Amino acid sequence: MSVVVQRGSVAAAAPPPEGRHTARFRLWMWFPLVLIVISATRVVTGADDISSAGTLRAALLAAIPIALAGLGGLWSERAGVVNIGLEGMMILGTLGAGYYTYHFGVWVGLLGAIAFGAVGGILHAVATVVFGVDHIVSGVAINIIAAGVASFLAEAFFKDLEGGGPTQSPGLDKPPTITIPGVADASADLAGRDWFLLSDLAALVNALTENLSVFTLLALALVFGTGWLLWRTSFGLRLRACGESPTAAETLGVNVYRYKFLAVVASGMLSGVAGAYLTVVASSGYQNGSTGGRGFIGLAAMIFGNWRPGGLLTGSLLFGYTDAARLRSGGESVHALLLIVCVGLLAAAIWQLKKRSFVMATASLGIAGLGLLWYFSTDVIPGDFTEMAPYVTTLLVLALFSQRLRMPAADGLRYRRGEAG
Amino acid sequence: MRRTTKIAAAAMAAMLALAGCASSDEEEPESGDSAGEGICESAEGDGPKIGLAYDVGGRGDQSFNDSAYAGLEQVVEDVDGTCEEVEANAGESDADREERLRLLAEGGFDPIIAVGFVYSPAVDTVAAEYPGQSFAVVDGYAEAKNAANLTFAANEGSFLVGVAAALKSEAKNVGFLGGVDGPLIQAFEAGYVAGVEAVDPEIEIQSVYLSQDDPVKGFENQAGGETASTGMFDNGADVIYHAAGKSGLGLFDAVEAAGEGHWAIGVDADQYLTVDEAQQPYILTSMLKRIDTSVIEYVTAFDEGEAPTGFVTYDLESEGVGYSTSGGFVDDIQDELEDYKQQIIDGEIEVPAEPK
Repeated sequence: MSVVVQRGSVAAAAPPPEGRHTARFRLWMWFPLVLIVISATRVVTGADDISSAGTLRAALLAAIPIALAGLGGLWSERAGVVNIGLEGMMILGTLGAGYYTYHFGVWVGLLGAIAFGAVGGILHAVATVVFGVDHIVSGVAINIIAAGVASFLAEAFFKDLEGGGPTQSPGLDKPPTITIPGVADASADLAGRDWFLLSDLAALVNALTENLSVFTLLALALVFGTGWLLWRTSFGLRLRACGESPTAAETLGVNVYRYKFLAVVASGMLSGVAGAYLTVVASSGYQNGSTGGRGFIGLAAMIFGNWRPGGLLTGSLLFGYTDAARLRSGGESVHALLLIVCVGLLAAAIWQLKKRSFVMATASLGIAGLGLLWYFSTDVIPGDFTEMAPYVTTLLVLALFSQRLRMPAADGLRYRRGEAG
Repeated sequence: MRRTTKIAAAAMAAMLALAGCASSDEEEPESGDSAGEGICESAEGDGPKIGLAYDVGGRGDQSFNDSAYAGLEQVVEDVDGTCEEVEANAGESDADREERLRLLAEGGFDPIIAVGFVYSPAVDTVAAEYPGQSFAVVDGYAEAKNAANLTFAANEGSFLVGVAAALKSEAKNVGFLGGVDGPLIQAFEAGYVAGVEAVDPEIEIQSVYLSQDDPVKGFENQAGGETASTGMFDNGADVIYHAAGKSGLGLFDAVEAAGEGHWAIGVDADQYLTVDEAQQPYILTSMLKRIDTSVIEYVTAFDEGEAPTGFVTYDLESEGVGYSTSGGFVDDIQDELEDYKQQIIDGEIEVPAEPK
């Protein structure tokens, strides 16, 4: 028994170093490829909006709350606690941000959102870590409680304020933004020239240098900081050990309860930041129901990203991008993206053929064929389908590229001290 | 490592302390609760006892509930009556709404006015149980014999703001932001498009619906509203009209960011009066849906012993819809707007209620 446990923990706690390097190498390799594909599609189809600075800026705005919620999920699940209550913690975050930003400004507002999110995290931690309640049950309960508490407190907080109402806060201040003067103008100019690749790259530079919210920078820092903290420090190693094999961690002297508790509370705090971002950056005030399921999408993005920060950021950006594209120039942009998906499916089919996985290859080929038929027989995609685009794209990518996902080995399992060997 | 744990623990303690002040602050606004300080507390006439059931949001929503209350406030004094308000909760069922209406009917309130189309099935059930009392549903589709539906010719009001958009657009490119793609909002779009085309058929019209069938993504999606509006501005539009509920607040954020030379048109209430000061210079006008007028007219008719039933439509002629002039941005084109308004009232212009 103890031998088995130990072997599991070794494999989990110390992944072969070259594996990590190839994964990183791949992530950077994808970036120019994606840029070239999108740029080529823009030139071929004439759908200029698919790589405009405006679309990329909107994509970032849509992606960050999802990524932050996903990051919350990452902390919790890496310590072995499934957190389906992200949505609820995010709702608490929007409320905290709304209340504290109105009274004390954006930075206290951010702290307030973190505190409110942490309350949700503490609740989940007490239920799952201390009392051993089923993780899903506790998470669902938090989602329900948070929605109720938020609409109750929103009425108490905002009803009598000028410009506020029982379901919404008054307009709030926005966090400061950063514009790098020379670069922003030059890139905007270049982006407008419709040159292959160069203009697209310039649009990306423009989106990152003009009116970039400091909260966006903070969010990106949190993503990379989490990667460093959980994978490069012994604190992180212990925390992940609690998610892979808590009994093994216990035998090595790690206080598993403490780490799990901490991770779940951190999860709530990050969800709170996600709520703050949604309240003060993506919109301009608190509103009941503004999260709209983004916490669940964050959870999906984390799974999509194989329980890793870089992966979940990619997943969130993919979702945010398709969502922004369909909201801005709906039919036209999604029509152009359809071409990309079809070409991608064809490439996947060839790859599957090489791997001699004939069923998958045929399926990919079939879908690609239908998609191409659709592409060439229409000019725009009707509204019913553009709304599905973000979900369908994410599902397709998940189905094709993420077949080797591995969740933390003890994720979702109840842990009791002293049950080792 | 031990140190990291300690730092983390300290951070958590700090956060707990913060959470502590959060809960102590929470009590503050509750003590200054001013809800209930309404006309219904002070009115003591012996005229009709009016019952008003709000939709989610209730009094203070700066939108249709408040508009209904404004009508109630005035008409209670006009007819020297009394009244009672009841609030709704989010995510409730028809049974909850029926219970609320039954409470009013049981309490002898007559007429009973329900705000919002969601009440229609509940009114049908309860109105049948209390055939002696009169019911009305704002925007409704109830079928009971003693129930009236107070509906609005949104397409006619939208036509006029479409005219205003066309006259003010220098880029010859205007936009429409819709909430949920269905007959209700399509009527707004159809009227708006007809108004724009009446001025200049060459003007390009962009149209975006935030959702096909999900009311939350359609009407409560401020972030999505801003993204879609910014997209239309980037694609050359300089005037955008929204019929997207609270998502429309995203349009106001977008127009402020787009800056000078861009306009937004509000809906339902005079939104110039409720947006932030920084956004006011961009609110060209608003399409008004006078729920207050409909409440006043309905109760007045009831008081005179002739409560209407079936569908009652409030249009331009009865001043049930219109456009706002706050801010003075449409003063220079008001003659033309009034001219079109008269043509619609006279029947010379037939405004479509469905898109082509």
